[in-house]
Amino acid sequence: MKIADKFAVKNKTDDDAMVPLINVVFLMLVFFMVAGQIRKADPIPVIPPSSINDHKAVTDPNVLIVVGGNKQIYLNDKLVTLEAIKPALESQFKQTQDKEKFWVQIKADGLVPVEILRPIFSEIRASGLTKVSLATQLQREPK
Amino acid sequence: MPLNLSQPKRKTAISLTPLIDVVFILLLFFMLTSSFVPWRTVDAPLAVPSDKTAPLKENDLVVLTLKQNDQMVWVDGVSYSLSDTSWFKKLVIDHENSAFSVNAENGVNLQTLMNLADRLKESGAKTVSIANAFSSKDDK
Repeated sequence: MKIADKFAVKNKTDDDAMVPLINVVFLMLVFFMVAGQIRKADPIPVIPPSSINDHKAVTDPNVLIVVGGNKQIYLNDKLVTLEAIKPALESQFKQTQDKEKFWVQIKADGLVPVEILRPIFSEIRASGLTKVSLATQLQREPK
Repeated sequence: MPLNLSQPKRKTAISLTPLIDVVFILLLFFMLTSSFVPWRTVDAPLAVPSDKTAPLKENDLVVLTLKQNDQMVWVDGVSYSLSDTSWFKKLVIDHENSAFSVNAENGVNLQTLMNLADRLKESGAKTVSIANAFSSKDDK
């Protein structure tokens, strides 16, 4: 009987000590659920150029082209060659309902030289699209 | 006197450990999948081929050319430093109603290009276009 009492008391104190922990964990959980945005990871890690530009896109891009530092091109998460961009864009454009708002985002690494991007822009232009944006990240402190 | 009253009612203790396990897993999931830095976008509208027949007037357009990643910018054959804030301010004041077009030669990387566009914006330039840097010479 005495032993059982002792254990009962011990269990109670254990749970009591855990309550602040759960409080904190719940607070963090709620914070991350509310403040965070779940987003698909890029097919390859890319660090876009930092810029003071603070313009955010209103809608999600219809097509996302990722250009990595190793000059590989990913179109909507698939590794493509330069020649495959135009047909892919055209088929995407055909499937889209709201053709007015169709836009292409190019997320290129800051170290990618412009001559890698030039043929990509040419392909996009050849497929008849004009709304193209480059992804940048906000520079926290101006140099 | 009913006998059962003499026995104290024991609270059924629900263990909190499984709850915390689940909450921790949820927490980890949200921490790892959340992103707090939304990408900003710079528009680089592509000119429709028909527009090319009517370009801007020469004096309305200031063309700045980057030749290498050496933080130097070339205007009319003269090079200036990207950190030369006063020169940028003067350039923008001198060409108040002009559009600024950024050009880049092969080998210049995107970050350098954005730095130049940033300097122009900081100096008060209203229209900065980076699309020219991406247009190939052999475009029809």
